[in-house]
Amino acid sequence: MQIHLRLAWTLLLAILCLLNLVPAMAQPAAPKAKIAVVISTLNNPWFVVLGETAKARAIELNYDATIFDSQNDTAKEAAHFENLIAAGYKAVLFNPTDANGSVANVLKAKNAGIPVFCIDREINSTNAATAQMLSDNYSGCVALGQHFVKVVGKEGKYAELLGLVGDNNTWNRSKGFHSVVDRFPGLKMVAQQSADFDRAKGLEVMESILQKDPDLNAVFCGNDAMAMGAYQALVSAGKADKVKVFGFDGADDVVKLIAEKKIAATGMQFPKVMAAKAAEFADEYLKGKRDFQQKIPVKVELVTPENVSKYGDYGKKN
Amino acid sequence: MRWTGWLIAVVAVAGLCWRFPLFRVVSLEQAAQAKDAAVFDPKKFAETFWSARLPYAFSNAVPAEVLLPTIQTNAAEAKQKFSRTVGVSESYTYFLSGKGRVLSVTEDEVLLGMTATATNAEVSLQTGLLFSTAVRDAPGVLNVNDYPSSQDFNAISEALNRIVEERVQPKLREQARVGATIEFVGCAEVNDESADLQPLKVVPIQVATP
Repeated sequence: MQIHLRLAWTLLLAILCLLNLVPAMAQPAAPKAKIAVVISTLNNPWFVVLGETAKARAIELNYDATIFDSQNDTAKEAAHFENLIAAGYKAVLFNPTDANGSVANVLKAKNAGIPVFCIDREINSTNAATAQMLSDNYSGCVALGQHFVKVVGKEGKYAELLGLVGDNNTWNRSKGFHSVVDRFPGLKMVAQQSADFDRAKGLEVMESILQKDPDLNAVFCGNDAMAMGAYQALVSAGKADKVKVFGFDGADDVVKLIAEKKIAATGMQFPKVMAAKAAEFADEYLKGKRDFQQKIPVKVELVTPENVSKYGDYGKKN
Repeated sequence: MRWTGWLIAVVAVAGLCWRFPLFRVVSLEQAAQAKDAAVFDPKKFAETFWSARLPYAFSNAVPAEVLLPTIQTNAAEAKQKFSRTVGVSESYTYFLSGKGRVLSVTEDEVLLGMTATATNAEVSLQTGLLFSTAVRDAPGVLNVNDYPSSQDFNAISEALNRIVEERVQPKLREQARVGATIEFVGCAEVNDESADLQPLKVVPIQVATP
């Protein structure tokens, strides 16, 4: 009797297991929804971190994620959007190439029912993207400008390396910096040239500026890649101790040089925070949320030799 | 008959062109005016905001006699109850009003004690060059989402700071004598609690002597 009872229990358990497992075995797992991560350029470690973090967070949230590199080219960016719309991507985490030029791409995705979440760089529209997570570049460079005056003094000659001229970040940084420095008439800007946020171009432009103005006191660079290029040019010219370099981004190599007192300061943006948040927004959207704030500025923090120990790995240490 | 057909076609095309012109000739002066009208003018905007909108927000300012004791006893509670943060940031702003006695005056600040017997300054009214976005952000009237380009939103901050430097600070410097009482409405930005709270650094947007 007892043996029969045990047999019955075993059979029942086996049936229950089969009921549970058979459908799973019969049907292949549903494909995951796809999220595209479109990045302005991967020729800069900062943007690599931005893209990789967005991708990793999307994967953590159970999506398939792919990175597309626009190589700072709006035509390539447009082609990526055409492809990702045709390929059935469900959301785009987007680092635009051009504040005006990228609006059409975002609208194209929106019209196809695909939400776009801008990261770090803005587009000049408030009704195209679903939301925009943006570094507060202006305020960051106001703080940087105040530190510049403190370190360089109220008199001196300086140069400025601008980023991509079609990008709002370029001008928000430049204007934030000048809103402070231009109040001190003794500080003379002897050169202002674009180096496209690129390290190699930063080196090249700095070399040419040094030939024309060898007695500079400082250089303000619109991002850390250009600051690294400028610093390299100064080292080659034997002027690294005389010319103070200011960057913006919070890239690891610059943070290390600030700790060694070779670069004066940078503005720490938080690419990992912005990228992860954008992926979470996309997830929330795909689960039904619709009421997103259009623009979310993310504070930029000043990094100097005095507080550099608090920063690293593209953010604030815990 | 053939010519009549052509005539009707020409008249139809002419009518269409008249109704929906392919181009319109405007003078260079008109074109320049239209272009200027499309460009955001932060100074003009700030001027209108300053005189027509900002004064209505004064009633929302937190009384200093409420805010300052809360900051002193529990800064976190004060931040939670009375501050405003734009976006994702550890920095925040206060919009406050109050009345204090001038304890000392320097080139860049007027220090106020907020009680009759106070000897330590609790408020520092800023009289130097202004760079922060406190005047734009603290009253909570302007919203970044209303501006397609953040460059415009930032330009407003700069224009408002210039108005304070040109109209409010000179009046404050004139009135600020040690022992005098100053009434103020102002905006404070807190970036570093250890440096910005004691005394609270306030950009004055309205000052008066009672």
